[in-house]
Amino acid sequence: MTMQQAMYRADERSRGHLAISTAGLTKRFGDRTVVDDLALAIPSGAVCGFVGPNGAGKTTTLRMLLGLVRPTSGSGTILGGSITEPATYLNKVGALIEAPAFYPQLSGRENLKALARLGQLPLSAVDPVLERSGLLARAGDKYRSYSLGMKQRLGIAAAMLADPKLLILDEPTNGLDPGGIVEMRGLIRSFAGDGITVLVSSHLISEIEQICDYVVMIRAGRLVHQGSVSELRAAQQPDFIVAPEHDADLPQLAGLFQEAGCTVTQRPAETTVLIEAPGFGAADLNRLAAKGGVTLRQLTESTRSLERAFFALTGTASADVPSGQEMGAIK
Amino acid sequence: MIWAAFTSEWTKLRRPTLLFSTFLGLAFAASLFVILMFSQARANGGLVTLHQLAQPNGLVIGVARASMLLGVVAFGIAASQVASEYSLGTLRQLLVRQPRRAVLLAGKMLGTITFLVLALCFAAVVALIVAVAAAQSRHVPTGAWFTGTGLGDLFRELGDLALAVLGYSILGMALGQFVRSAVFAVIVGFAWLVAVENIITRIVPSTEQWLPGASITAVASGGVEGVGYAHGMILGVVYIVAAIAAAMIVFIRNDVTA
Repeated sequence: MTMQQAMYRADERSRGHLAISTAGLTKRFGDRTVVDDLALAIPSGAVCGFVGPNGAGKTTTLRMLLGLVRPTSGSGTILGGSITEPATYLNKVGALIEAPAFYPQLSGRENLKALARLGQLPLSAVDPVLERSGLLARAGDKYRSYSLGMKQRLGIAAAMLADPKLLILDEPTNGLDPGGIVEMRGLIRSFAGDGITVLVSSHLISEIEQICDYVVMIRAGRLVHQGSVSELRAAQQPDFIVAPEHDADLPQLAGLFQEAGCTVTQRPAETTVLIEAPGFGAADLNRLAAKGGVTLRQLTESTRSLERAFFALTGTASADVPSGQEMGAIK
Repeated sequence: MIWAAFTSEWTKLRRPTLLFSTFLGLAFAASLFVILMFSQARANGGLVTLHQLAQPNGLVIGVARASMLLGVVAFGIAASQVASEYSLGTLRQLLVRQPRRAVLLAGKMLGTITFLVLALCFAAVVALIVAVAAAQSRHVPTGAWFTGTGLGDLFRELGDLALAVLGYSILGMALGQFVRSAVFAVIVGFAWLVAVENIITRIVPSTEQWLPGASITAVASGGVEGVGYAHGMILGVVYIVAAIAAAMIVFIRNDVTA
């Protein structure tokens, strides 16, 4: 990002310009409330992560923003246009909702041409977005011959076709291999560098943490938190990583902290413990250990990850995270 | 804006697989009827006589007989074109680029109808060439075909067939909109047009003049016994307008969750 772009984004935020704002946004399917009284306020220029467990209502919310699903109640404004009149803003929006969907028998280029014609966009816009998404060399091949990563990239190219001011990406790394995930991450970051507001949903919090500077968390259709990632981290009580001078003192040290009301987690294959100690500072923990006759070799403050912040905000136990899967995945 | 949706639809429709299979498929079906008719024609009696084939309207008899088959094929293609947008998930891409749903549907309908009418025209040209060749082989004089009367009959029949294809296409697209599954739409459509209407009219013959498939077939054939041309035309228009209105309402109001 250039200095000018950074200043522009900072200026946009300071003036409080919102790319997306909703109030009381609600969607019911029959008796089931999927999105409940959602009030979003996403600043222009932000790369915003939209986080929530599977079934939290992320995709339904994104569909409402794109005019695909009609809200049961509530209002909203996207790029200055009312959510009830999607035609007023969708010409400035690019979107990839769920899995990319194109005509299998057409080439990647022909698929984009069909969309360009529909949106009354110049056909000359097709090749540059194919190039940017790294698909130009295979643009003439049929879509059905593409790998999952290529399909995903074509979806991104389609979203970029209208030179959007807002990009809405629903689980863009779904199904990608590690290499593809890194590429996608880079691509999304590059959009941010262009001053495009990006709303990217994911159930992988670690993914969001790496690319987003703003985050919206929902659970069971309700807003849990929204704000900048740095503010969220700052607001979290830090944890401490503690190690005794002698490894044999580890159980005694853990017992001392537990008695004091701290939550102690033994770190696998390590001679340290992770201490969640609300209201305690490093000095308090050091004093507690000394009083119990244990000398500390290590006492390090550890900033909570976004994942832990999510669990803290939603009251979900971190044990809900399936072991052996992606570290940031919310079940 | 409808033009944009129309040209976008044609980008999809003109793909070689669909283009060749539709155009050649319809041409084959129409030609097959012509060949069968000429090969089975007798001097006296039978489905059609050699004398009838030598009349000014002899050129169009075969194509007219194929109208039901052409209509069913058009119905299936139209239904699958609309329904596949749901099953492939492409509809959400389209609606982001064209959120005015009535405009999108109108453009898509226009695209599909022109595609099928052009396929019909191609089939008619091929069938006419086949008819001339078949007439030569059966020693049927063709002089009357190319008189003013013969050509008038030809163009009138082609116009009626085009109207019928339009009707079948719209009914197919409306059904595709409702069932949202290409395979299911084609099965339901074929079952209704080929089997259900036949069964109903055999049990209660008086219903024939009120059924959509029978009405449109009557238009394609310039009127049939039991359903006059004018009656078929009026009723067909009523069905088509109702189908368009219902498809529009469903398309505009329904959430796109596919």
